[in-house]
Amino acid sequence: MTDPPSGEAAFLVPGTVEAAVEALGAAGAVAVAGGTSIGLLVGQGLLAPSVLVWLGRIPELSVLEEGDGQMSIGATTTLATLAAHPRVRTAVPALADAAASVGNTRVRAVATIGGALGHADPRQDLPPALLALDARVEVAGGRGRRHLAIDELIDGFMSTDLGPDEVITAVRVPLVDGRRSCYLRFTPGSADDYPTVAVAATAEVADGVPTAVRLAIGGAGPAAYLVPEAEQVEGAPEGRWAAEVAEVAEAAARRADPVDDRLGSAAYKRRMVAVWARRALERCLGADGVQP
Amino acid sequence: MKLHARVNGSPFVAEVPATSSLLEVLRGAGLTGTKEGCRIGVCGVCTVLVDDRPVSSCLYLAGCASEADIWTVEGMAERAPSVVDAFVECEGMQCGICTPGQIVAVASMGPDVRDENGVRRYLSGNLCRCTGYGTIVDAALDAQARRRGEVAPT
Repeated sequence: MTDPPSGEAAFLVPGTVEAAVEALGAAGAVAVAGGTSIGLLVGQGLLAPSVLVWLGRIPELSVLEEGDGQMSIGATTTLATLAAHPRVRTAVPALADAAASVGNTRVRAVATIGGALGHADPRQDLPPALLALDARVEVAGGRGRRHLAIDELIDGFMSTDLGPDEVITAVRVPLVDGRRSCYLRFTPGSADDYPTVAVAATAEVADGVPTAVRLAIGGAGPAAYLVPEAEQVEGAPEGRWAAEVAEVAEAAARRADPVDDRLGSAAYKRRMVAVWARRALERCLGADGVQP
Repeated sequence: MKLHARVNGSPFVAEVPATSSLLEVLRGAGLTGTKEGCRIGVCGVCTVLVDDRPVSSCLYLAGCASEADIWTVEGMAERAPSVVDAFVECEGMQCGICTPGQIVAVASMGPDVRDENGVRRYLSGNLCRCTGYGTIVDAALDAQARRRGEVAPT
């Protein structure tokens, strides 16, 4: 490829992860997958990359397969693919529902799971779902590959632990027999808007008794966060969760660090975290009569 | 960069900045049926097909269309004649600004979209300020029925 005119971005189309990593080593290089966020930032003049490295032609990144007790989801898997995937829908419905909630049909058709995580916008749907599901992210870079939890990858407001030459290659979601999961978002505006708060819950329920309860919250802080108090619900006898669930929901609200914006005041978001955390836990545990 | 693609079934080559939007590229090539609306991927008037997927061409980086099969509203009479017929029959338009995007969006629907709820959900990102959506939903349902062979072509 010839050099572009000065001031104009070069556009590279690597065919392997290794070539992408090498290309990302250039100053001002930015990785692009579906391009919905990068296209927006570039279009609004907020980002002026010197090199665009498109990941859309790397076969390894689009693999979606099940094996070794986990679902391995290539980084360029689109949200539409995730939302429609029969096994994702049945085994990890929180992920399918989160993917189906993003933006509109056109966004979901091209936006990717890797792009959503790399962008690290705290209002996004996928991070809380993947955090609750205890997913891990595979990252490739000049020093090889490493694996991170969601809250290790996303370490602040639109900030990740990724080095400049690193790229997300896959997301691995554990598949656990008997695990239930659900994702709920509170979106008082139009359906394509970001959620005011987003909540994901997972639990294993055997003989009506929940174990391995995880709760994650999005939209209510600089990054999605786990609520470790969720373990208080574990072991409660069937149908006798109400007090524990209420306590966990309040703990989730205490851990929130929201800001005032057009999606709601900080105080409002904090209250909505408690309300939607309770609903998500009830749904996940089956207490509201709706199967997750 | 030099963009090589296919547009409405014909080879397409253009020298464009890699960061230009596909919308700019298409309109710059005289394909002005695709409209510019919100410029942030929300309104849907700039919807085109890229490798069978509906995209907001205002957000879609031209480079990501390399080697792609692109269809715009100008190609819909060839690519999806039943959708065009359905919009005409049902008068699924009023002022017409959103119509190119509506037609392309309906052309991208899979067979799983069969009922009014499915149509409304699928098209919820294609905004219309005139019709109240009733005739657009009618046109989409009619187009899907035509594709299933349930309505005689006009």
